[in-house]
Amino acid sequence: MNEEQQLKLQAFLDGELPEDDARATASWVARDSDATALLNELRNTRKALADFEPALKLPESREFYWSKIEREIQRLEPVERPRETVSLAAMLRRFLVPAGALAALLIAGIVAFHNIGVAAAAPSEAALADAGAFTYRDQDQGMTVVWLSYPAEIGEK
Amino acid sequence: MRSKFNKAVYLFLTGVLAFVLPLTTLAGGSDGDMKLEAKLVWGTNEKTSPDPKQKPVSPELAEKLKNSPFKWKYYFEVKSECFALPKQGEKTVSMSKTCEVRIKNLGDSQVELRLFGKGKEVSKTTQPLPKGELLVTGGNAENATAWFVVLRRGE
Repeated sequence: MNEEQQLKLQAFLDGELPEDDARATASWVARDSDATALLNELRNTRKALADFEPALKLPESREFYWSKIEREIQRLEPVERPRETVSLAAMLRRFLVPAGALAALLIAGIVAFHNIGVAAAAPSEAALADAGAFTYRDQDQGMTVVWLSYPAEIGEK
Repeated sequence: MRSKFNKAVYLFLTGVLAFVLPLTTLAGGSDGDMKLEAKLVWGTNEKTSPDPKQKPVSPELAEKLKNSPFKWKYYFEVKSECFALPKQGEKTVSMSKTCEVRIKNLGDSQVELRLFGKGKEVSKTTQPLPKGELLVTGGNAENATAWFVVLRRGE
C-alpha cells in the first residue's frame, strides 16, 4: 500500500472524501485485508486520542475570559510605593551627624595645625650686645627671661 | 518622639558649635591683632618703694617673678602701657628716660622685642608669645636692685 492510498484511507475515516471516492474506498476496504487493518488501526488511534483529549469549555465568552486575564495582569503589575514621610528630626540627623563629624575633624585639624604651627615656629632668638647676657625659659610659668648684665642705667627712672 | 526631637536639637547645637568654633578661631586667631602690655618693673628687697607713685605689681606677676630664679622679694611697677599690634605692626614704647622698647608683631604669635638703652640697641629677641605668656628682659640696677621690662600678651 502506497502513501497515497494510506492518505485516502485517512480522508475516508475523517469523512473528507467525495461521495463517489468514499463508495469506491469502502468497496476497496471490503476487498483488501491490509486496508481493513489500517483503517481499523486509524480508527482506534483516533478514538484513543479523542478519549484522552480534555474538552475545555469556557464558562463565559471568550472576550470576557481574556478581559479577566488582562485585569489580573494589570493588578499584579508593581504599583509605585507611596513615598515615606521623613520627619524633621530624621532629616536633621541625616545632615548633622556627618556634618558634626566633619566639623570635629576640622577642629582637630585646626587645633593640631595651630599647636604645631606655634611649636614649630622659630624658637626664641636673641641678638644681644651684651656678652654676659643669657636667656632663660620657664615652661611652667610661661615666661622667657633675657637677663642682661649691661647696661645698668636702662632701669634709671 | 520627644527623645528623638531632643536628640535632633542636641545634634543641631553640636553641629552649629562645631562650625562656629573653627570660624571664630580663624577669625580671631593668631593672625589678628596682638594685645600686648609692656611694663617697666623694679625689683628690690625693700618692702616699700622710695617713689610713692610706684605700686606693687599684680599678685599674679609677682608670683611668677618670685617663682623664677630671681633673688628679689618685691616688685614695683614703674610704668605700664597696653596696646594692640596688627600683624607686621610695630610700636615704640618709652619705658623710662633712658630706656625704650620697640615691639613688632611678626604674625603667627611671633613677636620681636628690641630694647634700647640711651638710644643704643642693647638686645633683640624674637620668639613665639602665646596668649598669657611673658617675655621678660631684665638687668641689674643700683643698690642690688633690678629692672625688668615685662611684655605680656593679653587674652
